[in-house]
Amino acid sequence: MQNSFFKAALFAVAVCAIYIYIGEVITDISGGAKTASTVAGISPEAGEAIFWGSGKCHTCHSVGDQGSAIRAPNLGVHGSDFPLPIALRAEERAKELSQKLGKPFTAADYLVTSHFDPGLYVVSGYKNEMPTVYKPPIALKVDQILAVDLYLQSLGGEPNAEALMKSPYFELLKKAAGSQSAATTVAFKPYLQGDPEKGKEIFFDPNSKTPCAKCHTVGDKGGKVGPELTNVAGTRDIPYIIQSILEPSAEIASGFEPFLIVTTDGEFITGVKKEEDDKSVTLADTDGQRQKISKDKIEKMVQQKKSIMPDNFRDLLTMDEFHNLLAFLETLQ
Amino acid sequence: MRHRKGTIALLALTAVALAFPALAASDETYRTFLGYDSRISIWIIAELHLMFGAFVLGVPIFAVTIEIIGWKTKDPRYDKLAYEFTQLLSGAFGFTATLGGLLAFALFGLYPKFMDYLAGVFHDVMYIYALLFFVESTTLYLYYYFWHKMAKQKGLHILLGILLNVCGTVIMMVANSWASFMMSPTGIEAETGKFIGTAWQAMNNVLWHPLNLHRLLGNVAFGGFVCGAYAAIRYLGAKTQEERAHYDWMGYIGNFCAVCGLIPLPFAGYYLGREVYSNSAVMGNNMMGGAFSWTFIIQAILIGGLFIGSNYYLWIGMHRIPGSERYTKYIKFIDIIIILCFAVWLTPHNLPLSAEEQIAVGGQYHPTLKYLGLMSGKNAVVNFIILSTFLSFLLYRRANLGPGIPFSRQGGKSRWILLGVAGGLILIMGYYASYLLHLNPTELDLSADKEKYFKLPAILLLIQIAAVVVTVILTLKDRGKIGQMMYLGITIVNITFVLGVYGYIVMAVANPFLRNVAVTQWMTMMSALTLLTTLDVFLFKGAPQVGEMTWGKMPGRSQYTLIFLCVFIVMLIGLMGFIRSGLRENWHIYGVMQDGSAGSWTPDNALMAKVVSACGLIFLSAVSFLFWLTSASAKKDHKSEGEPSLPPKATHPTAGKAARSGG
Repeated sequence: MQNSFFKAALFAVAVCAIYIYIGEVITDISGGAKTASTVAGISPEAGEAIFWGSGKCHTCHSVGDQGSAIRAPNLGVHGSDFPLPIALRAEERAKELSQKLGKPFTAADYLVTSHFDPGLYVVSGYKNEMPTVYKPPIALKVDQILAVDLYLQSLGGEPNAEALMKSPYFELLKKAAGSQSAATTVAFKPYLQGDPEKGKEIFFDPNSKTPCAKCHTVGDKGGKVGPELTNVAGTRDIPYIIQSILEPSAEIASGFEPFLIVTTDGEFITGVKKEEDDKSVTLADTDGQRQKISKDKIEKMVQQKKSIMPDNFRDLLTMDEFHNLLAFLETLQ
Repeated sequence: MRHRKGTIALLALTAVALAFPALAASDETYRTFLGYDSRISIWIIAELHLMFGAFVLGVPIFAVTIEIIGWKTKDPRYDKLAYEFTQLLSGAFGFTATLGGLLAFALFGLYPKFMDYLAGVFHDVMYIYALLFFVESTTLYLYYYFWHKMAKQKGLHILLGILLNVCGTVIMMVANSWASFMMSPTGIEAETGKFIGTAWQAMNNVLWHPLNLHRLLGNVAFGGFVCGAYAAIRYLGAKTQEERAHYDWMGYIGNFCAVCGLIPLPFAGYYLGREVYSNSAVMGNNMMGGAFSWTFIIQAILIGGLFIGSNYYLWIGMHRIPGSERYTKYIKFIDIIIILCFAVWLTPHNLPLSAEEQIAVGGQYHPTLKYLGLMSGKNAVVNFIILSTFLSFLLYRRANLGPGIPFSRQGGKSRWILLGVAGGLILIMGYYASYLLHLNPTELDLSADKEKYFKLPAILLLIQIAAVVVTVILTLKDRGKIGQMMYLGITIVNITFVLGVYGYIVMAVANPFLRNVAVTQWMTMMSALTLLTTLDVFLFKGAPQVGEMTWGKMPGRSQYTLIFLCVFIVMLIGLMGFIRSGLRENWHIYGVMQDGSAGSWTPDNALMAKVVSACGLIFLSAVSFLFWLTSASAKKDHKSEGEPSLPPKATHPTAGKAARSGG
């Protein structure tokens, strides 16, 4: 009986191990955690991050061949139904709406109303079911909506924040979004009050468990492998920073995507691409070491979905150390 | 006795935690669990509580059912089996209570503000919950400890068992109302986020009943597979042929009960998913097309594994049935169908491809495979998998049975039952066909010209109705087997091939109508399961056995299949708990109370798999310990009552009486 029990137990553990492996593989091929990241700043890049992240726009809209959602209109160029990207489509629809409403209506008005009053223009074949994005559960701030609109403008057109902000509907949007009660939301508060001085030590000490400055610059100190963090707390909110530390692959900062190079000698080299010209590519590894590889020696170069930043900070840092580091990063306004 | 005292003390602790929400009053919003991440701590405790809860709620359902079968057939072996299942419950119940108490304490301690809010909404119901808990525990102990003493008052004892199930189900429903309220809150003042409704309004939120149904069926499947694994381990360690025969039979019954719960489970899941989407398109889209879309691929692997494993176990089991060789030649076809369907079910619509891979494939999507990843394809194959599994059961059921009594000689009662079942099916399908034919497209936010797309599903339902009539006529003329095959064939063609393909057209031109197509598929499928089972009972009524069942002759791999099924269902329940809870994302109460803690991010599938596996292994270890206690107790009982009973000769629990009377 004992023998059969241990065999069965071993079998159960093996099945669990396969399950964990499947979880790892799925996470790897799906590009890591799809968490609701929050990006501060008003730019097309920030809007793009919101579109594919916390704004959840991608769960209904695709952009050209990017994404797979079909519930709402594709916002890029896609098949015969969508021959124009949204920025150009917005101009055509603005003309239609101008005639219908009997007053001037611009492409910027169209984009703003698509968030403020999506029922104003419902694309044929689709339902009027777009949620109000400034209300819970999405609860985007006005700045974030503006950033998304800038991103949409960039799809076939030129981002123009001024045009969006001058739209009469933008004022209505601000008023409506501003009236959302803050009582329903809770401001982020860390578990522990960290010590920024101790955090600074962890950040800069080359012998610490997590010598962040090896790759990141703050002020004039640190490496250039990862993004500069001098003003990170001014442009990113704290949940985003926490996610970046604990799950670095969840969202890799633009320009810091890792690449794998397979050389003709069969060597595998991984790192962030720092330079590239006609003849060579330079990759930087986690130690800040740069390696220049001649292009005629490159058999294959593939962009990776997994960040080169270690993803074991959860194990390396204690709760106190983590909050100290976070407290230091919070000071980088 | 000490064990009982301990359990009662734990129950009291749970009741205290539930009955005094004032414990939650605090200025702090969040605390840590002994310096450790509170979210993961709650996750593990809640998951373990749910696993034990599923076990102690699922097992009594089929324990009482088996007891009733034993009572009606006057076969003491069923009664002993039901008692053995109940034995497993007593210890598990104590663990469930302990974990429930721990969960309540942890929630009040770690999330005081949130629990303050929740207690403010549900405090009246919490007292009722605690009271129900006492009633359930008392009923369970009366049911278990008075099993032999009430042997002569079997009806009364069964009534106790039913009361136990009613209490357990109501307790589950109360707890479900809290969980579903967090997903689809009602009675909230939008401006302030304050709860202004009644406790009943909060309980009766839109996701309550879909969740109740999903969990109820899930619990039966869970309990069945866990009991199956218990039987498998006992079988593998058995010293005598009698023991092997008993535990072989027990494993079969466990698997049978589990599959009974498993077959309708995808529909319950679809119902829940549909209501999730109806309640919040944001949550629904995030579930199927957002953060959890890949988690559903893992879910598909697990469910596919459960169906394949269950079928495999049945097919191995046919080798112990004389006469089964008449049917084994069909198994390879069922096998191919299930594996192909499983492959389709697993296919994701969208793969994140590198530029090189996109060039190789010819775009973001594979030109052919992209269609298999859409809902319509998945609806078609899941129906086909269920029909194939059902067919496996039919073959297993009739494996050692010869021809039964012709239907025309079975008397008026059989005719009335058949006509009643057929009439019910005709009414239900006719009602839905009529609904589809009169459906106003504006109800689905579709233009009037889309009405034409509603006709085909309605016509197919009318064809099914005609098929029911023809099948009944054939049965009355003693051609029931032809009727059975015809109905099964028409069902497969309609729901898999016609509606499966038609679903793509609907998705492209009238997407909101797809849910009605899915309901049509579900309804057609259920009509097949109901009608064909009814027919099978009559077709083989009084059938002689070709040979005697040889219980206890199963190869070891069959028992490892049962263990595999148990581990998979444990992983599945953990994964589904993750999805259900994770759908709220950074909201304690969706859209009302935001989670501002450091743990408000959504874990990736790798972390999910690790935590769920850890929970699963802890659960299985604890259950093994309880089973060890049970078997130690059983040895004592056997010494006083004799060796384990041999199973009945019937191949199927519901066929027992008929098979013997015919033989």
